[in-house]
This record gives sequence, C-alpha cells and structure tokens, in this order.
Amino acid sequence: MNDRRAENQEPLDALLRQWTVEAGPPPRFQEQVWQGIARAEARRAPGFRAGLLRLVEVVLPRPEVAFGCVAALVVLGIAGGSWAAQIKSNRLQATLGLRYVQSLDPYRAGDSPP
Amino acid sequence: MKRGGAILLAGLALSAAAFCGVYYRGLAPMRALMSRPQPELAWLRQEFNLGDAEFARITELHQAYLPQCRQRCGLVEQQNERLGQLLAHADTVTPEIRDLLAERARIRAECEAEMLKHFLAVSRTMPAEQGRRYLAWIEQQTFLRPTAMESRHHHQGADAK
Repeated sequence: MNDRRAENQEPLDALLRQWTVEAGPPPRFQEQVWQGIARAEARRAPGFRAGLLRLVEVVLPRPEVAFGCVAALVVLGIAGGSWAAQIKSNRLQATLGLRYVQSLDPYRAGDSPP
Repeated sequence: MKRGGAILLAGLALSAAAFCGVYYRGLAPMRALMSRPQPELAWLRQEFNLGDAEFARITELHQAYLPQCRQRCGLVEQQNERLGQLLAHADTVTPEIRDLLAERARIRAECEAEMLKHFLAVSRTMPAEQGRRYLAWIEQQTFLRPTAMESRHHHQGADAK
C-alpha cells in the first residue's frame, strides 16, 4: 500500500506545482463591501435613535425617573453656577489685589490684570 | 414623546435657572466690594480681616502716601524727558547724562524707600499675624520681589558652570 502511495506521489506533486489559483474576487466586490458597510451603519443609526426616543418617551415619564433626572440637572446647574462664580470671584480678587499694588508701586503700574 | 420632552425641557430650564441663581448669588460679595469708592482698599480690608479702626488708619496712610508718590513719579518723568533730549544730541555718556542718571537713580531709591516705609506702616497697623502675612504678600507683589535682572545673571552663572 505504501509502494502504491509512493508511486502516485510524484505525479501528484508535479500536478500540484503546476496548479495556480486564478479566481479573483467576484465582479463589483469592493462596491458590494462598501454597500454592506453602509447598510450596517444605516441599521445601527435608527437603533440608537429609537433607543433614545424610547428613553424619553417611555422611561423618562415614569415619576421616579423624571424626578431623578430633573433633580440631577438642577444639582448640575447648582454645581456649575457655584464653580463658575468661584472662578470669577478668584479672578476679581486677584484683580483687586493687583490694583492695590499698582496704586502704590509705580514699577507695576503697567501690569495687566490676570 | 411630548411628556418626556417636556420633562427634559423643564429639567434643563431649572438647571439653567439654578446655574444663574447660584452664580449671581455667589458673586454678590464681589459686586458689593466693587461698588465701594476704593474697591482695592475694601479688598485689603476683607483679605486681611481688618477692623474699622485699622481700616480707617490704613486708608489715611494710603491717602497720605499717594500725593508724595505722584510727586516723585512726576520728577522721574521730567528726568526721563531730559535724558531723551540729551541722548538725542550725544554720542557718548557726557557728565551731564551721568549726573542725570545718578539723580534719577537717587529719586527711584527714595521712591522705593518711601514705599517700603509705607508697607511697614500698614503692616504695623494690622493685627500682628495679618501684618506678617501682608508683608510676605507685598514682598512677592512689589519691587521687593526678585527681578529678571538678578535671575538672568544667576542663570548665566549656572550655565557657565
């Protein structure tokens, strides 16, 4: 059995060496790939939008969710306002400090406020 | 959608209102400070926790210092103008230019000494701890702080090493 196998091996090897793959991609392959990608993205977009809509339409009107959402937004507003006022206040304090120094020290008269 | 959207909008409106309210309220002390006749002195009072009597004395010192300072600045300005005129017609450092530079340096030194005297008088008027803090702050803010001149040579020395 091994002899017969060895006997057939050589022509088989020769045949395999001659064999080349000539088949290319199917016609308009690239275009089809791009279309596929576009379709996948189109499917995904409404999904996200639908999810968002569902959130606003179905989940948000629930009293506990509505209360939590409004409360979170108010807290965010308070924190933001406090932070912005602190920054502005610090800047004004620095400006007044500089004004005091400038009123006494002529060498710093030309300095611009922070 | 209508109800959810309305809740969302109401939340955003309340958030904006909260932002504006807190911001406006947070800046109320600063608005009050800025509306004073001399906001920089009002700031000093607040910054160094001064009492009425201390603040009145410091305001007095401040008002007494300013005319002298103005006078010295006027002198230096005149000397600068004179220096400009001399430099326009000179190609060497003439004795007159040298004298003028020396006189200007003298006025500037006098100005710095008077300024320092004022700072010390102000610090003495404050409670001891605040006075020390005031002097430390003023050292960082005025002509007393290190200038680019010294640090320039310091860096050059370090580079040479």
